[in-house]
Amino acid sequence: MSLVYFEELFFTLAFIIYIIASIGFFVFLVSSKEKVGKFSVTASTIGFVIHTIAMILRIIESGRLPFSNQFEFANSFTWAIVLCYLVIHYIYKFTAVGGFVMPLAFLMMGYASMLPKTIKPLMPALQSRWLTIHVGTAIISYGSFAVATGLSLMYLINERHKVKDKKISHLPDAEVCDYLSYRVTAFGYLMLTLVIVTGAIWAKKAWSRYWGWDPKETWSLITWIIYSTYLHLRFNRGWKGKTAAWFSIIGFLCVIFTFIGVNVLLPGLHSYR
Amino acid sequence: MIKKIGRFIIGLKFAIILFILIAIYSIIGTVIPQGATKEFYLHNYESFGNIILLLQFNKVYSSFIYRTLLLLFIVNITGCTIKLLPSQIARLKDDYFPAPGKSAENLWDEKYDTEEFKNILEKKGFKIYKSENGYKAAKNRIGVLGSSITHLGIIIIILGSFIGNLFAYEGYINLLPGESTAFVEQGFILKLDDFYLGFREDGSTEQYYSELKIIEEGKEVEAKKIWVNNPLKYKGINFYQSSFGWVSELTIKDSEGNIIEKASLKNNEYHFYQPKHLTVYLYGYYPDFAIDHEGQPVTITQQKKHPHYAVILYEFNNYVDSFITSPGQPIYYEDLEITFEDSSLYTGLTYRRDFGYYFVLIGCLFMFVGLLLSFYLYPRFVIVGDKTILPVTKQNIWGYTMQLKNLLSSTSKQ
Ligand code: HEM
Repeated sequence: MSLVYFEELFFTLAFIIYIIASIGFFVFLVSSKEKVGKFSVTASTIGFVIHTIAMILRIIESGRLPFSNQFEFANSFTWAIVLCYLVIHYIYKFTAVGGFVMPLAFLMMGYASMLPKTIKPLMPALQSRWLTIHVGTAIISYGSFAVATGLSLMYLINERHKVKDKKISHLPDAEVCDYLSYRVTAFGYLMLTLVIVTGAIWAKKAWSRYWGWDPKETWSLITWIIYSTYLHLRFNRGWKGKTAAWFSIIGFLCVIFTFIGVNVLLPGLHSYR
Repeated sequence: MIKKIGRFIIGLKFAIILFILIAIYSIIGTVIPQGATKEFYLHNYESFGNIILLLQFNKVYSSFIYRTLLLLFIVNITGCTIKLLPSQIARLKDDYFPAPGKSAENLWDEKYDTEEFKNILEKKGFKIYKSENGYKAAKNRIGVLGSSITHLGIIIIILGSFIGNLFAYEGYINLLPGESTAFVEQGFILKLDDFYLGFREDGSTEQYYSELKIIEEGKEVEAKKIWVNNPLKYKGINFYQSSFGWVSELTIKDSEGNIIEKASLKNNEYHFYQPKHLTVYLYGYYPDFAIDHEGQPVTITQQKKHPHYAVILYEFNNYVDSFITSPGQPIYYEDLEITFEDSSLYTGLTYRRDFGYYFVLIGCLFMFVGLLLSFYLYPRFVIVGDKTILPVTKQNIWGYTMQLKNLLSSTSKQ
């Protein structure tokens, strides 16, 4: 059997496992059974390994990184979301985080699964080593923002229950979610800055100008401005908690629009579908 | 009053307002088509058309309003940086030590060995200072400059690109192999030796190649094969492979077979034959012709596998007829014989000189280094006294407290 067959099989498997993990996390959140939580984390990890194998098969098959059409981008973003989640998980061991991040991952993968999967060679504009750096930083940046959003959602839920005076025992402290979300956002922001800078350097080589108000360029600037606002208010005005959490969610919506909305609604030079 | 306004102009509130305005204005620019004619807006947006034109939503990024916003932003960020800089510089000195915040957690516990902790801190790059009843430690004082360095980077980017644009020099040329174009001011000639496409096995286009030569005072001084992502640079001007197309040879003969008219047409070009008031319109040349599901002519690849022309004739601006022909196959119109053949490729080159780019690069570098300082090399302090160990930092008190806890636990006496 061919590589393609296994690649598709592994993608489907990973997708199913991500769904199972998401459901598991949900059960964990409402029932707070430790075992279910552990199971979901293990499932996410296994799903990630399988997903990675599928990606590697695709890389072998196409002879390049999976960065050439919307399906491959969405897939790589999913992969990076799970990667960032697992990194955060294995450092801080907050099982509940998965309940808010894994659904994002499986939604993104669901979006990917609706797109044409054919392997096509790179078009001339994409034949550059900047592709790796530019898209590589982009997926890491978006992965971090997804995790930060998950943490912010968790914070909001935590707060609500605190008000009702029955703190959910298996959620990490609200304060911790808030801080961690901020740190992860800061990292994502640093990466987003790199995406824009490498994009500008590449645009200079490929399109002759480093900045041309292409919709994708403009929307990445808008996302950058939103996160800049967040970081300034946080650092200088001590914005924390609720407002910061909402801001982080708005920032992520903006990220999603930059990624999907711009390609679908505002096509420009940058839409490789 | 004036002082108050001044403080507002360089304050954070104003910065946020500008951020939001710039973001909104940018969004509008991505939603409303840019740079179309006045009539386009008046016709398509009805009564909003006038508002669009008044607020310059038709050319957002080069509009007066946008430039004003950016200028105000520069004033704001410069003012803010200049205001903060002296106190930041003061914090670089050894005699500066911040007071612990109200919420600083006391990490002290009798099981910890504070002398050992001191050694560990020292090993971790902290600088130790004696104090009345213990010691103080500080690390990464330089990080306090992070925000100013980032701001400086942004100022360099905006001003640099603005000035660069004022002096930028750019254009677009089409060349057939063998043709050249003179850059009089710069004193050189650009010659296209050859232009061709590279194909993959499945016939799709892999790359576009232009073989270029620079000739100065009759001598060849530089030769380079360029493609997308690989421009030629000469005397500060970059030449980019940016498009391509086909030119086809049109021949009109009379009934006796004498050639009465010849012309070279690109796709979508007209030729007007005066005596008959005949317009020959080359709708397109399709090297690998096919009809798509909407009934439109298309080309599957750019290889000459199955070449055809789509041609439309007009007389006195009235439609006469349309034709699909193969090379050399005549179209008869009254006593005329019209043929297309010998299509060849031309290259489309963009050229641009813009020194603003170098400022932008330097600005980006500053910005990135500044962000690294702010996020990861922020200043950290510890105050160790009688039964107190207080972490002090402004950026990331939570993470820093965790780090110190880890360090402390390794000094545990049990
Ligand atoms: C100033 C210039 C640029 C900026 C600000 C920029 C910004 C971005 C951003 C923010 C992303 C993240 C993914 C997304 O939101 O879709 C992205 C992705 C991407 N960029 Fe760029 N970029 C620039 C130039 C370029 C150039 C010159 C190319 C190639 C010729 C390029 C190719 C890509 C590709 C292939 C992706 C990944 C997929 C996608 O469309 O989402 N970019 N860019």
